[in-house]
Amino acid sequence: MNQTNQMMTGNLAAAWGARLADVDYVPAFPITPQTEIVETLSKWCGTGALNARFVTMDSEHSMMTAAGAAAATGARVFTATSSQGLLHAFEVLYTVAGWRVPLVLVNVSRALASPITLEPDHNDVLAARDSGFLQIHAETCQEIVDSILMAYRIAEDPRVCLPVMVNLDGFYLSFTREPVILPDPRMVQAFLPAYRPTHLGFKASSPRALGTAVLGGATYSYFRHQNHLASMNALLVHEEAAVDFERLCGRRYDLVEGYRLDDAEDVLIMTNAFASKGKAAVDVARAEGKRVGLLRLRVIRPWPADAIRHALQGRRAVAVLDQNLSPGQGGILFQEIAASLYHEALRPRALCSFIGGLGGKNLSEGEFRAIFEQTAEAGVRGKGIGPVLLYTEMEYREMEQLQYLAHDLKTGK
Amino acid sequence: MRAVRFHGRGGQGAKTASRILGTAAFLEGFVAQDSPIYGAERRGAPVAAFTRIDTLPIKQRGAIVHPDLVVVADASLVQDPAARVLEGIDERTAVFVNSPLIAEQFQAKTSLPGRLTTLDLTDIALQQFGKRGAISALLGAVAGRLVGLQRESIREAIARELADLGLAAAVIERNQTTALQCYDAVPAVPLETGSPRPIVPVLLRTPTYEPPTRGTAGITAGPNSAIRSVAGWRTFRPVLRPDLCNGCWLCFANCPEGAIAIKPDGKPAIYYPHCKGCLDCVEVCPTDALTVERETEAAREA
Ligand code: SF4
Ligand code: SF4
Repeated sequence: MNQTNQMMTGNLAAAWGARLADVDYVPAFPITPQTEIVETLSKWCGTGALNARFVTMDSEHSMMTAAGAAAATGARVFTATSSQGLLHAFEVLYTVAGWRVPLVLVNVSRALASPITLEPDHNDVLAARDSGFLQIHAETCQEIVDSILMAYRIAEDPRVCLPVMVNLDGFYLSFTREPVILPDPRMVQAFLPAYRPTHLGFKASSPRALGTAVLGGATYSYFRHQNHLASMNALLVHEEAAVDFERLCGRRYDLVEGYRLDDAEDVLIMTNAFASKGKAAVDVARAEGKRVGLLRLRVIRPWPADAIRHALQGRRAVAVLDQNLSPGQGGILFQEIAASLYHEALRPRALCSFIGGLGGKNLSEGEFRAIFEQTAEAGVRGKGIGPVLLYTEMEYREMEQLQYLAHDLKTGK
Repeated sequence: MRAVRFHGRGGQGAKTASRILGTAAFLEGFVAQDSPIYGAERRGAPVAAFTRIDTLPIKQRGAIVHPDLVVVADASLVQDPAARVLEGIDERTAVFVNSPLIAEQFQAKTSLPGRLTTLDLTDIALQQFGKRGAISALLGAVAGRLVGLQRESIREAIARELADLGLAAAVIERNQTTALQCYDAVPAVPLETGSPRPIVPVLLRTPTYEPPTRGTAGITAGPNSAIRSVAGWRTFRPVLRPDLCNGCWLCFANCPEGAIAIKPDGKPAIYYPHCKGCLDCVEVCPTDALTVERETEAAREA
């Protein structure tokens, strides 16, 4: 079948994901750097290119509520937000995950206030990691389209029935254009048939209550645990979806992606768009004769523990590059990786924690070189390091300059 | 450790009674802990409160599953499975029920296990305060007597707790006097705490994944409130005198239970199985067409 190749931004790719999935309902609230997604969908709904109901909401809180309620009627629902908007919707994330509504929410990552910024890191999306939503993190514009299609397929599987968040980085993907192959709609239909919910179906004529009040912790525990089991089922369902997707359009997406891992003694773990830079740094280090590789976490909920253990067993040292910071603790993913490796007999000799790319801060080749060097030393020593904030001498001097400018030059206050 | 469980209906003061008991024990130098469980209930629905008293730091929290003493503020709760009054009661448990029946009569009627004491606190409250709900101090005093606390600490605890609720000094004093009369009216039942109860072994069973039709917290069954009678909640029932009714429907509009319907002649009709006896309808009726009658067991079953 025909697949068309064209230049498009990550935001446009996200809109195309929704369009190809033939969604029925799009509740929307704009926020930078997500705005282009809902603008595009609004235009398509207006012209009839997408046969969906588009509704502008008064906030992300209402937006998520509307999304969950519409999905509970059996509609296929798409929505998108970013950063503080995701936080504003937070209460409802847990609620609709408990309803087991299989909608797709795209989050365009942007660092959280304060200070305020428009550029990305992953504290927004990782704050939602316990909400019950599944999480897929895209590296390229191509992966955004493909992940949205896979997300609906996984979300709507009766073994899962959970909402999915597809994450893409602000600026590094949202407004970045690159070639994207759009799958043929007939191929999408074969991969993602019309949604027929078994446990939902809100309608005026049949009273039903979702997310009802329960007293006594036993009932609550049962449903919350079902949420966990459903999420764990998604590991297998993702694998099945990946096989079918590859068969139909030739691209393969696994829970984790290994890059030059086969004989690597040290492994750098990354997620999202900066993983491209990480892969380039691996190429440079390889050319210099270093045996390094990269492991990209594509799915973060459910946590692909087995795939991670398998990829890391027997390595000398592992570095986790967290593009987030949990104040008072360090890198969020580092903790989860460490927990996954604890019981491994063949666990790496050293685990290193690096924090980088906060607020979209660039990662230079020099910084990657420093990571590989420090990780190799830690591996030799058999003792991990970190959390190390990736921050250069030059950046520190610029910061001092800004502090000087920001304060009253006469009084020095 | 003395573990006391209070059962009441929302608005009857079981929580305040448990606090009076806790404060009294505290004033006597014991380590005390009190806590209520409520939240989603309506006025009149079953609530519970718990007081623990010990000489050592208390390492328990929350609901008391094996009480030494159970205090029941409303006799109708014993028959209500949702109230779970009987849970964890055995022959060793002391039980107090607010009821006009003497203990043997009550026990014969309900086959309630445990060592039972009764007193008609509602009647006393009506005589002294003109209010059936004013029994928290009386309940607290009775509980204090049963667990062996001193008169003086009960008196002081009532003062503190009722002052917290904003009651006037004169009202607090009347409560103290009446409560201590109740204190004197019940015989102290020496509590047997005995040897610690053996730990019942449990089998763990972690649920497996079930289809979302079962594994999602939802209700698709019809309106089940229709089959739940709340007649047992009433101490009083509203009774209509149609000759005085002007058909304004204020009672209909104000009934929180939807227990009032309008007949074809425009006059209201009360559906007693769903009337919880809040008497809101009586309060709003402009013509006094709704009057109050003390509930009797015979009428309640009708
Ligand atoms: S007492 Fe009156 S207002 Fe209250 S539930 Fe009964 S009928 Fe309704
Ligand atoms: S409020 Fe009183 S007068 Fe009005 S309809 Fe009800 S009973 Fe009749």
